[in-house]
Amino acid sequence: MIALRQMWLFFWRDLAIARTYRTVFVVEAVEALFGAATFYYVARFVDSPELRQALPQSGSYFAFSLIGFVFLDYLNAAMDAFDHSLQEARDSGTLEHLLVTQTSLPVFMAGSALYPFVATTLRIAVYFLWSAAFFEFPLRSANWFAVFVVLLASLLAFSGLGILSASYLLVFKRGNPAKWFVLGITSIIGGSLFPVSILPEWLQAVARFNPVTYALDATRAALLTGASVVFVWRPIAALLLFATVLLPASMAAFAWAVRHTKATGTLTHS
Amino acid sequence: MTRAAISIESLSKSFPPARSGWRAFLQPFEKPSLAALSDVALEVREGEAVALLGANGAGKSTLLRIIATLLLPTRGRALVAGHDVVAHSRDVRRLFGYHAGTDHGLYPRLTARENLLFFGQLNHLSRAVARQRIGSLAEQFSLGEFLDRQVRTLSSGTVQRLSLARALLHQPRVLLLDEPTRSLDVIAASEFRHFLKTRILGSGSTSILFASHTLPEVEALAHRIAVLDRGQLLACDSLQGLLQRTSAATLEGAFLRLTGRNREPSAEVSIA
Repeated sequence: MIALRQMWLFFWRDLAIARTYRTVFVVEAVEALFGAATFYYVARFVDSPELRQALPQSGSYFAFSLIGFVFLDYLNAAMDAFDHSLQEARDSGTLEHLLVTQTSLPVFMAGSALYPFVATTLRIAVYFLWSAAFFEFPLRSANWFAVFVVLLASLLAFSGLGILSASYLLVFKRGNPAKWFVLGITSIIGGSLFPVSILPEWLQAVARFNPVTYALDATRAALLTGASVVFVWRPIAALLLFATVLLPASMAAFAWAVRHTKATGTLTHS
Repeated sequence: MTRAAISIESLSKSFPPARSGWRAFLQPFEKPSLAALSDVALEVREGEAVALLGANGAGKSTLLRIIATLLLPTRGRALVAGHDVVAHSRDVRRLFGYHAGTDHGLYPRLTARENLLFFGQLNHLSRAVARQRIGSLAEQFSLGEFLDRQVRTLSSGTVQRLSLARALLHQPRVLLLDEPTRSLDVIAASEFRHFLKTRILGSGSTSILFASHTLPEVEALAHRIAVLDRGQLLACDSLQGLLQRTSAATLEGAFLRLTGRNREPSAEVSIA
């Protein structure tokens, strides 16, 4: 209960800070409209009956690629949320004052990631709303409960990657090759802009070890064909399996990183 | 003034050498070889103020940061009200307030009140109690007119008072202050010392361990002075005790004799 209250405090803090940059909300909403328009016209340019046939849900390439694109945004947010909040706290000097409060590090990390996740979810919603309003995105057939469950399972799976990324940043202070590797690999084998089925067989095998592949399959099915949770239980189970492995491993890596930086005196160093 | 608020037992701290380039990847596995504290033993009693006096790099901040659970000791241990700072770090964080003496560490785009509410509630104060404490501390620190202004619009001195108010919000039993008046002007520093002396030490229940380069501040506040040099505790005694032991007339003289720098210019220790 205390942990939940403290996580809410972090969310409230980030919301209060974000409120002081009100124009950013407007700019991001307009940016989403431009993004959706770009995907719509690219899709119109390449769309053909053969392409529709090749897509998993036999839908439009616009819907397929937009879901892929916004999901990469989600993965990016998951990879960024933890290390961004850590870096910001370190640079602003608030980290050591947060660490001397009665807040555990996992709560600090989870609480700091809450607002970026909610903000990204809202940004994605805005993308879909623009797309439905102006570009014939088929939102009416969506199964929203299934979409919610898939997003939650994806969030848990991606968070493990984000915490691993933050552990790296804590120890080595700069950059994160793992993040770029994951994002780079994912954009190729995750099925974000083209179906995994067109890849060579060995790459399709590799794609089975990527949580994004499952997240995208399930989201597309729930959004475009109205698939229920029962129908997409396999990708959801795969995502939860990733979370079961990645979350404890990443928390162990993070605990080691904290202990190590407390020993070397570099915990609050930039 | 009998029970120990802080006990430091044979505490040593060493850091691994800093590395750059590709060697930075090996740094996590380097052996700690640079000694910052060597076998330090010290006790701060309940209601007592102890000053840490030493040149830059003497180990004052390292000692404070170990007690504040921000650093792990290499050997030995530190206890706050009987709780080990490593084994029971969460219990320890409930007991102390930490102020690093800089105007960093607050959220510039939040108001002073929002900052205090956030940190107060992270320290398990309810919203109502936090609001009440903020009101009372704002009065003591003359912060009332600044509470609803964004921190980025406040002067250095005001931000520092705000930061100290944050350290006191949850009414800690121990105050850890690292050069608390570093960014304050003469008047604000004097008011701050008066506040510590009358409101904090006057209550008799709060102990203070503070690092300072300002000798009048040390003389005004400290019941005892711990002289550190190159990580070693050379002496810990009252002002009179140090003067007697070194046959010096002033604290500056005593400090220079203890550290063996009585023929060198006193560049590191300044008199404010």
